[in-house]
Amino acid sequence: MKVHYYPGCTLKEKAVALDLSTREAMKLLDVELIEPEGWTCCGAEYPLTEEKIMGLAAPARVLRQVREEGGDVVITTCSFCYAVLKRVNYALQTDALKHKRINAYLKDDIKIDPLTKERTTNFEAYNGEVKVVHLLEYLRDRVGPGKIASRLKRPLRGLKVAPYYGCRLLRPQKELALDEPDNPHIFEEFLKAMGCEAVDYPFKQECCGSYLSVSLPEAAAEASYRVLRAARMNGAQAIAVSCPLCFYNMDKRQAKIREMFLDFPGLPVLFFTQILAWALGVDKGALGLDDHAVPVDKLFEDKRNAEVIL
Amino acid sequence: MRVKLKAGPEPRKFIERIEELSGENVYACYQCGRCSAGCPMAAEMDYLPNQIIRLVQMGLEDEVLRSKTLFMCASCFTCQSRCPKGIDLARVMEAVRYVLDPKGRDAFGPNEISPELAQELPQQVLVAICRKFSK
Amino acid sequence: MTKAKTKPPDKRIGLFVCHCGINIAGVVDVERVAEAMKAYPGVSFSTNYVYMCSDPGQQMIIDTIKEKKLDSIIIAACSPTLHEKTFQEAARLAGLNPYQIEIANIREQDSWVHVDKEKATRKAIRIVKGHVEKALKNESLEPIKVDVTRRALVIGGGISGIQAALDIAEHGYEVLLVEKGPSIGGKMIQLSETFPTLDCSQCIMTPKMVEASRHKQIKLLTFHEVESVSGFVGNFKVRIKRKPRYVDETLCNLCGECEKVCPQVVPDEFNMGLSFRKAIYMPFPQAVPGTYTLDAANCLGLSPVRCGKCKDVCEKKAIDYDTKDTFIEESVGAIVIATGYDLYTMQALGEYGGEKYEDVINGLEFERILSASGPSGGVIRRPSDGRIPKSIVFVQCSGSRDTEKHLPYCSKICCMYTAKHAMLYKHRVPDGQATVFYIDVRSGGKSFDEFYQRTVEEDKVLYIRGKVSKIFKEGDKLIVWGADTLTGKKVEVEADMVVLAMAMVKADGVQDLLRRLKIATDIHGFLAEAHPKLRPVESLNAGFFLAGCAHGPKDIPETVSQASAAAAKVGDLFSQSELIHEPITVPVDDEKCSGCGICLSMCPYGARSLDLERRVVTVNEVLCEGCGACAAACPCGAAQQRNQTDEQIFAMVSAMLKG
Repeated sequence: MKVHYYPGCTLKEKAVALDLSTREAMKLLDVELIEPEGWTCCGAEYPLTEEKIMGLAAPARVLRQVREEGGDVVITTCSFCYAVLKRVNYALQTDALKHKRINAYLKDDIKIDPLTKERTTNFEAYNGEVKVVHLLEYLRDRVGPGKIASRLKRPLRGLKVAPYYGCRLLRPQKELALDEPDNPHIFEEFLKAMGCEAVDYPFKQECCGSYLSVSLPEAAAEASYRVLRAARMNGAQAIAVSCPLCFYNMDKRQAKIREMFLDFPGLPVLFFTQILAWALGVDKGALGLDDHAVPVDKLFEDKRNAEVIL
Repeated sequence: MRVKLKAGPEPRKFIERIEELSGENVYACYQCGRCSAGCPMAAEMDYLPNQIIRLVQMGLEDEVLRSKTLFMCASCFTCQSRCPKGIDLARVMEAVRYVLDPKGRDAFGPNEISPELAQELPQQVLVAICRKFSK
Repeated sequence: MTKAKTKPPDKRIGLFVCHCGINIAGVVDVERVAEAMKAYPGVSFSTNYVYMCSDPGQQMIIDTIKEKKLDSIIIAACSPTLHEKTFQEAARLAGLNPYQIEIANIREQDSWVHVDKEKATRKAIRIVKGHVEKALKNESLEPIKVDVTRRALVIGGGISGIQAALDIAEHGYEVLLVEKGPSIGGKMIQLSETFPTLDCSQCIMTPKMVEASRHKQIKLLTFHEVESVSGFVGNFKVRIKRKPRYVDETLCNLCGECEKVCPQVVPDEFNMGLSFRKAIYMPFPQAVPGTYTLDAANCLGLSPVRCGKCKDVCEKKAIDYDTKDTFIEESVGAIVIATGYDLYTMQALGEYGGEKYEDVINGLEFERILSASGPSGGVIRRPSDGRIPKSIVFVQCSGSRDTEKHLPYCSKICCMYTAKHAMLYKHRVPDGQATVFYIDVRSGGKSFDEFYQRTVEEDKVLYIRGKVSKIFKEGDKLIVWGADTLTGKKVEVEADMVVLAMAMVKADGVQDLLRRLKIATDIHGFLAEAHPKLRPVESLNAGFFLAGCAHGPKDIPETVSQASAAAAKVGDLFSQSELIHEPITVPVDDEKCSGCGICLSMCPYGARSLDLERRVVTVNEVLCEGCGACAAACPCGAAQQRNQTDEQIFAMVSAMLKG
């Protein structure tokens, strides 16, 4: 299987573990990932006013590039990218004015043929045709539970993992349509397929503080603390995320959280793709585990939590 | 403190501008307060989320533009997902911030981030916060 | 198309154009219309008047008919739905056949929908001309007289059904009261105390239940379900299924031995699943009829018999496993629908935990907990561990007033019953903390607001204005996230128990029946009334009346009022010596009918049938409602509606097009 893959800028530098574990895992599922040529940052935030249309040009461009390369689906693992790309598609499909204005920006783009280096400007309008699919969806719908089960080498026998959706995967529901914001289960199903015990806790879709960790560090730390605490109180041994920012807030900033909230003993934070990669048999060294502020080594010990299937 | 609600086109113009920018009907809000109840940052805010839209409903432009709440919104959409009238309050917040822009208030921008911090931050945060809060 | 030489019209038509104040005259030049029509062939008299429907207006019509010897009249005014009967009666008083009057609608179809006065006036003239052409060919008709079966059917044995049945029975008519459950009582019998008097619900209801069971004129049919209804107002045929109870209610002496030996334990629906019952059970001690019922779905098995213990111990030999569904056919003249309501499911509110948390319950569950005959004998205990809660949070508007995801309407009773719940809790747990989260407090009924104020002032219940965003569990406490919009603070409350005032929705399992009966409902599944202001207890389907929460959320005083009103309407119907059926039916012209039978499939009332011997269609004019579908479908013109023949319609169209 070949599919287009949009990593997003953060995955290439500050959240390499997410990118690396995704690649390694997909290899073992016979999925070839193709990054669209010349992709740029998606813009991180979907502009919420009717007048800031220019911010939609970059993500629309990325999606159009996928179409130009013959792809009809692009998968992504970063929640922020997922939200921006999917919402741009929704706008193009439902809002005639936005469609006109976004394509007005795209119209002047120059296409460079990679072989001949010839420059052309005959792009067709982009209408939101490329489907943006989150890796969790892709695994469930396109790869399939059967195939995944057959490839599992080390199911994480009963490791209690709390799935953390955050905001960007689920809201706004009408545009993202991934799952029910207050009663989701796609992530839990993934964890169960990996052999984990999915921990049910009431903060799986509450905000971690997002970018406010920069401007209001204490408020954001408290938000992350509430999530981590609830996960721990419900028995989680680790929390799995799908977003580099959630990871930053909950892992890299965990020391600060523990300073502020002395009753919190800590909780390891993982990218869900690291769990996937490990379960499929990827070498421990190739999971990006050194990148973690909160040590996660113990979770990936062959003896205790895993079972090798010969 | 006495608020004199002005008659005439001025307050109406402000409300219409907010509605135009956000695409939301601010009059649909019946002030149930659910947005404030679920907002992760509400405890830090000077005006609660429902009060922000209330100020807009009443056309109190100066007051709402002065509030610190505008720069405490994480755009997490919890308000929107639970609002019984389906109002996207995050859009209203952004519309108010947008109206503020030309008045030159740079609530949080690159100048507030030290080089060391910039080194460790994931790019998406830098992009996101600057797009949201700086001119 | 060549026109046959037109005979000079031999009718003397009078035209009366109404101003309707400025409703019509503000847009249409009514004087001009009256003037323009004076010379039209067939019109013998033409005038205009400010309010035709007023007494002087009607008197003018009557006098003019007599003076000018008119044999047909046209009133150009508002929609016939409003005053057709008024003018038909006026015509009758003047000695004219009521079917010789025509109503030309120049208001709803003209002055109310146009702004250009010149064009509207010209349109009014065209409309009137069309009606003149129709009037020229109208025949005098006599209404069809129909017998009335003076017996009523009431579907549903809750307070609304019981009240309606009692009132109809008191009038002296026989009533069939059909209830699909094993006992009458509905939701009201599940309540603990009722607002604003705090009367014990069972104490005020059981007398009515007993009266209903003992009344000479009421035939109580519990554990029965209505299968189908055919016929028309005054003459319905109803097919009712009697479900097998497996216990002969005339023999059962309530000794309870069967219950003791039954091995099957299932959640007790009367106690909202908070306790258990056996497969053979009495729903509650005051059940009417007082008998046990065997719940076959939860019994270990009846065919073949897998247990048989209950039958063994029954000394009255009341148990018979071989009982089957039986059907009865009954004739009734009127039907009252009183099928009640249900509560919105908590599963829809994921932010409140869905149905995950045992101690987050709905209003009916709390009623059972409060009830002296409930799962904890009236001691308020929380379902999870039986502890007495020291802090309860009540959440109003759960699922109601939500245009986005749930129900857009207000469920009306929740503000009052929440105040009652909080008050009763404080009476029983005086050191407990009761907090109510509200958006508004709606207490419009008699003594309602005073009751609510008592809850706040005397019982010291804390009312916080803010809709709850989230409820979750932490340890053995429930955390409620709300906000106080009045002080502008986010509020978090730790509670032992949470009671959600869930929205009232249409009753489960009734939609199918309503569809089969072809009863109109609104988009929420509540029964549609004939007119929201002036006809609140009648259905649009003649002969069907509405009562109680099946029609929409309402409290007990309103329900009882509505039930009595429905009964009064039934009385109206039955007090007539015979029913008048409109004669604007569609007869069959034998000579033209080819016997193709297309019209049979078009008729929604089953009024037409094919006479196979003569190969023509026959019509039962009593069933015909004059919808005209058959007339439109008939390929040979054998189906012509009285006073709305094809000829008349073409004449109208011609006149209107000619201008």
